Order: sequence, then C-alpha cells, then structure tokens
Amino acid sequence: MRERRTTVLLLAPALGIFGILFVLPLIYFFVISFWRVVLFKLKPDFTFVNYGQVYDQHTATLAFTLSLAFIVAALTTALGFIYAYLIRFKAGRWGPALLFIALITLFGGYLMKIYSWMTILGITGVLNTALLALGIIDEPLPWLFYNAGAVVVTLINFLLPIAILPIYGSMRGITDIELEAARDLGAGGWRSFSDIVVPRCHTGTMAGFALCFLLAAGDYLTPQLVGGKVNMIGVQISAQFGGIFNPPMGSAMSFVTVGASIAVVVLAIFMLTRWRPR
Amino acid sequence: MRDDTSIVWRAIGGLFVVFLLSPLALVVLFAFTSRAQSAFPIEALSLHWWGAMFADANFAPAFWNSLVISGTVGILSALVGTMAAMGLARLEPARAYLVTTLLCLPLMLPPLVLGVALLSFYSRANIPMGRQTVIMSHLLFALPFVVLIVYARLRNFDYRVVESARDLGASPLRAFLTVTLPIIRPTVVGAALIAMALSLDDFVITYFTIGKGMTLPTFVFNMIRSALTPKANAVGTLILFMTVGTTPIALWLTRYRG
Repeated sequence: MRERRTTVLLLAPALGIFGILFVLPLIYFFVISFWRVVLFKLKPDFTFVNYGQVYDQHTATLAFTLSLAFIVAALTTALGFIYAYLIRFKAGRWGPALLFIALITLFGGYLMKIYSWMTILGITGVLNTALLALGIIDEPLPWLFYNAGAVVVTLINFLLPIAILPIYGSMRGITDIELEAARDLGAGGWRSFSDIVVPRCHTGTMAGFALCFLLAAGDYLTPQLVGGKVNMIGVQISAQFGGIFNPPMGSAMSFVTVGASIAVVVLAIFMLTRWRPR
Repeated sequence: MRDDTSIVWRAIGGLFVVFLLSPLALVVLFAFTSRAQSAFPIEALSLHWWGAMFADANFAPAFWNSLVISGTVGILSALVGTMAAMGLARLEPARAYLVTTLLCLPLMLPPLVLGVALLSFYSRANIPMGRQTVIMSHLLFALPFVVLIVYARLRNFDYRVVESARDLGASPLRAFLTVTLPIIRPTVVGAALIAMALSLDDFVITYFTIGKGMTLPTFVFNMIRSALTPKANAVGTLILFMTVGTTPIALWLTRYRG
C-alpha cells in the first residue's frame, strides 16, 4: 500500500502539469469554438456558426494544406527511411556520426532553418548567385522562392530528423542474425528487405509519417516566410489571434484541422498496412 | 559489399549531410560577413553585425529572458521528469507505456494549436502573460523528453545496488541520494540540457504566450520580418550555439540514441 502511494506521489507533478496545462486548456479551447465574439470580447454561446464558416470560407485552404502536408510527410518519411537504412546497414563506422547529425538538427534551429532557406532561395540568394557565377543561368530565377515548392523543401528540411529517429529506432531492433537466417534460407536482397526490414520498421515509419503530417499541416511560419502568397490554414488560424481577434473562429479552425489531419493519417496508415511491397 | 554500391551510398549520405547541415552552416557563415546582405559573395569577414546585435536595445532583455526561461524549464523539467521516470519504473511496463504516451501527447499537437490554446486559457484564467506563462508552456513539451530519457536509463538500472544500501540500513531517501542519484546523474543533467535547448529554440509557443516581452527567437523573428540583415544571422548563430552546442554534451552525458 505504501509502495503504491510513493508511485502516485512520484507521478503526481508530471500528471498535474499534463492535466492543468494541457487537458484543461484544450477543453476550454474546444468549448470556445461554440462561442462568439461581441465587441472584442468572448461571449459564451452554443452555436455552430464558427464551424459553418470554416466550411464556407476555408475548405479550399484546408484541402490545399492537407495535400501539401501529405506530400511533405510522404517525401520526408521516404527520405527518413533511406537515411535510417543508411545508418543501420550501409554507413559502417560513419553510422554514429550520421545519427549524431540527425539528433543535433532535431533539437535546435527551427526558426533559423526557415530563415536560412530565405537566404538560399531568394532572388539574391545563395542558389541564384551560385548558378549565375557558374554561368548556368543569365539572370536570377524568380520561381525558386515564394511558392509552394519553397514551402515543401523548407518543411522537409526541418521535419527530416523527426522522421529519421523513430524509423531508425525500429530498424535498430533488426538483428543481423535474422537477416543472415533469411539469406541462408535463400532470400535475396530485395526479399529480405521487403519481408524483414520493411515490416519490422512499420511502427517507426508510421509514427514518423504521422508526426510529420501533423506538424506540416499545423505550421504557419514556413508559408508566411518562404511561401509568399501560399495560403495555409495555420496562417489563417494565427491571424484569428492577432488583428482579426476571433478566437472562437481560430479554435474551430484548429479542431477541424487537427481532426482532418488525424483522419488522413489514420486512413494513410490503414492503406499502407494492407499494402506490402513484393 | 560491392564497391559500386558503396560509392552510391556514400554519395547519398553526403547529399543528406549537406541538406541537413548547410542551412545551419550558412546562418553562421553570413553572421561574419562585412556586407549588408546575407548573401554571397562575402567580401570580408567582419564582426560588424555582432556589434550591431549587442547595440540593439532589445538584445539584452531578450537574452536575459531566454536564459531565465530555459534555465527554469531545465531545472523544473529535470526535477519533475526524474520523479515521474522513477514512478514509471515502479509500474508494470504496460501501464508505464500508457502514461508515457499520455505525457507525449503535447508533442503530437502542432505547436501553433498548443500556443493559441494556451494563450486563450491564460487570458481566461487571468494569468498575466510573461516569463512565467512561457515557462509553464515549455514544461509541456520539455517534460516528455526528460521522462523518456531518464526512464530509458532506469530500465537498465541494476536495482541490486539500491537493495544493498537498504539492507545495510539506509532510508529510501538516503539510498536515493547516495546510490541512485549519483548513478543516474549524468543522464538527468543531459536530459535537462536537452530540455533547455528545446526551450531556448522554441519560437511558436513563446510568441503566443509571452505577452509583451521577447526571447532570442522572437527577437530574431522581428528582424526577419522587417529587414533582412546579417544582424539576424548573428542572433541566430548565438541561438544555434546555445542549442546545437549543448546537444552534443547532452548526448554524450545521456548516451541517448533516439
């Protein structure tokens, strides 16, 4: 009995923070999605008008955001898989260094990475200057910047470590003995890859995909800084808490976005679970 | 391994490294340019923009805020996170897995949504916004990392040493302070450093919950929005130095590998 009490006491502060600063704010935030704003003040109500407006005004933006997030998450997960495969099976003594690079880029530099892509892709950016200097182009390419492509590249760049780590985590669990056994039983390289490596990495790959999708769909800084006119739902959500001041609307948009993202992720995982490379 | 495949893999590895590191390397490089633009060619190396950064009236308060916030987040999350990890180690694995998943939920939500939800909550609860609200918010995403890292360490912990201490008459607290803590201390310190790095680097949640003040990332954001000068690179380099610079130390201390 005393043992049990100690366990509860040890977990209490962490669960308290989780309850008071996560569950409670989210419940309140969900409740206000049914409220209204009257004269710059929140007014309790029970109306679905905000959700109606999300449907009327933001469906196109949401659809665009989700498709862009899907492309980003799919590419990032594929690249993350290759990188993890490289660390685990191909890099040899360079493996730890590659893992180290993934870890240090995970923990720092979110804003700086976006800023750096501004200086890489801009009209006077690194890429244009380099191409001009090499004589490959005669004048700067304006289409490198302020478009969906720039957003995709930037998102992939800072999401990649987030995809690499869970995939590598599950790949690390594959032992050489399993692969040797497969080979001894006559499986070729592709067969042992598709029947052992891919299924064993299923959980990690799905976790990486889900995280990348949710973070890409909810990002608002990347479209704002490198996207130009690219309009993603995050930009609209953040605007509701700035000059427009309509938190109930922002709340409805947030919950629709997160809900739709979870639906897409669940659907994608369901379909991938049925599919196996042969 | 055949040589031609190994060359292909080497090339792929090289491309990945360039893709992951060159954006960060460019930020640092342009912080030392003498020109007024973060662009090539760099005519001469100069500390001009570092001077400009220190001369900015907003720099000192932003730097101080960043230090106070990340320091507090590091200490609090190490304390609460280590307690939670020890509690988890006493649960059966299935339950512990459930609790860790729960604690990791804040990481799955886009920071924007978490930020605006917290902003709405704080203003409703009449909590004045400033360093205190940022610290509370950062705990949410820093804590899961500390819990995961320390819990991983405790799972391959040899409890016989603690039992010996107890058999020799040490109280649970004394056994913890003289046996368990010294053994797991590097892991706890490393986890605290990672929590600090995450806190220091955060822009989105800070932006929504700080009220009027500034931290280094929000300070640099204001620069990026107005005029693109290498002053932003100087501040960015400082942030990178403090986050990316502490991570290797943390990784070495925790032996954490993902």
